[in-house]
Amino acid sequence: MTDAADGRRNGMSSAAPMRAANEELQMPGALRWYLGHERVILGTLVVMLFLIGWEGLERGWWADMLRPLLGASAERLQLKPIFISSPTLIAAAAFRMFFVTGEIWPDLAWSGAGYVLGLGLAIAVGIPLGLAGGWYRRFSYAVEPFLSALNATPQVAFLPLIVVWVGTGLGQRVLIIFLLAVLPLAINAHAAVRTTDPRLVKVASSLGASDWRLLRTIILPSSVPFLLAGLRLAIGRGMIGVVVGEIYGSAAGVGAMINQAGARFQTDKVFVGVLTIVAAGVILVEIVQRIERRVDVWRAPA
Amino acid sequence: MAIPANLELVAHGERPRSTLARLYLEHERLAIGGGTLVAVLLVWEALGRSGLVDPLFISFPTQVAQAGWQLSHDRDFWNDVEVSASEFILGYGAALALAIPLGLAVGLSKRLQYMISPFVDTLNAVPRVTLLPLIIIWFGIGIWSKVVVVFLGAVIPILINTQSGVKTSEARFIRVARSFSASRLKIFSSIILPGTVPFIFTGLKYGAGRALLGVVVGELYASTAGLGHMIADAGNTFQTDIVFFGVLVFMATGLIVVALLDAVERRFENWRPALSRS
Repeated sequence: MTDAADGRRNGMSSAAPMRAANEELQMPGALRWYLGHERVILGTLVVMLFLIGWEGLERGWWADMLRPLLGASAERLQLKPIFISSPTLIAAAAFRMFFVTGEIWPDLAWSGAGYVLGLGLAIAVGIPLGLAGGWYRRFSYAVEPFLSALNATPQVAFLPLIVVWVGTGLGQRVLIIFLLAVLPLAINAHAAVRTTDPRLVKVASSLGASDWRLLRTIILPSSVPFLLAGLRLAIGRGMIGVVVGEIYGSAAGVGAMINQAGARFQTDKVFVGVLTIVAAGVILVEIVQRIERRVDVWRAPA
Repeated sequence: MAIPANLELVAHGERPRSTLARLYLEHERLAIGGGTLVAVLLVWEALGRSGLVDPLFISFPTQVAQAGWQLSHDRDFWNDVEVSASEFILGYGAALALAIPLGLAVGLSKRLQYMISPFVDTLNAVPRVTLLPLIIIWFGIGIWSKVVVVFLGAVIPILINTQSGVKTSEARFIRVARSFSASRLKIFSSIILPGTVPFIFTGLKYGAGRALLGVVVGELYASTAGLGHMIADAGNTFQTDIVFFGVLVFMATGLIVVALLDAVERRFENWRPALSRS
């Protein structure tokens, strides 16, 4: 990187890049291989170091190693498993919870139900709301104050109200997931209509297309990338809703499991829960990204 | 040639309108928005006052205002404000102080990026509030656990945006500066940093939202004081008016923080020629 930059800086003569290329050829094979895979190698190395450091803290490797040097104060380098757990303990707990006792599946199903309903409701309300706001100027003026106020608020602050209204059951989780996920969907749908090519709309309406026809054949197809981007944001926000909704007064679900495990200092189970949520989020986002790529195929390059 | 005639027709059609109608059209956005807001508040007030819906559930605007007035004379309330504000300021300040320099460094050095990005990407995928039970184990239920949640919420968006700001610096500018033998420091301070400022502010605004979320969730989950604690307490005792007032305070905070950041950003950006914006 630096060499190339220097080469370019001194490189009034055309010989410099040649020299750089030659140097690259003369490098020993191992070094060349390293530079080609630097990203993977460095990344893996650092992650391995981190995991080993963590494992060692829990198992007391570092305390044992440094005891001759530090004496008794080395004991501080050994932490209790309830405090930080360790990668192997977490892996063991995950294996147990998924495949031996299977205790996580009912929680996953319960959380999944709330998530699907909340996100579905957010899609069903947010996208039409945003499309209507983008199309009817006056309607957008009317709803704008509410949406921007809601956008500025940390929506989870509504949780105590939601609990007063619907209790702590499924409805509470559906509502909080809905509140968190609806805004990115509505905002993106609004932006999608606003950025539709006005020439297309003008041509179509001067040829007598109805509003419905315009929506179906021009606005919706050109909105799809925006809607999918909004959906990707909403998936992440919805995950926050699952966890927060269940942490705050729920008896079942992955969030509730995390909460209970935390209260009992079962740190490994907390980590398993967190990683499960992360995996679910990553998989969903990946699916949406696949769809995005597929949808973009027919689009003529700009 | 039909189009200009058409335009004139429209202009003629506009002229006879009364001044009142014109005033309305000029301020239509404000009129409709404000009108709807007032209408909703009135309906809410009527529903609550008439007892059509139990005020225990939805309260009503004047009751909320009254609760706010009473709270403003309440020493406990100001203590809650102080606790929440210090959590926000400490966590957000720490996030900003770490994420901007680190983001710049990661954007500049590919090797550093390779080493840091596995952690940043992982943390970015985690809804950080999930870590709350762990953070409580590590830092207790006092103010520090909330500071950590706020920090974790804000640090990632600021870091990612700063980094991508550096990455998208105009390569041509850097090449030109290099060919005029500008030093690395000069290139950084006069090309890369100014180009990164808008990205940093986007990250800061995003981070502020996440930080507020951290304050609320942290205090709802486990705390002894703070506005989130007040809201949770009021919810448990069906004091809906206090809950609404607390939500309003958070809403106002969110609006004010974003407005402040916008003002600072304009300050930083007013050197930029208008041309480059379009």
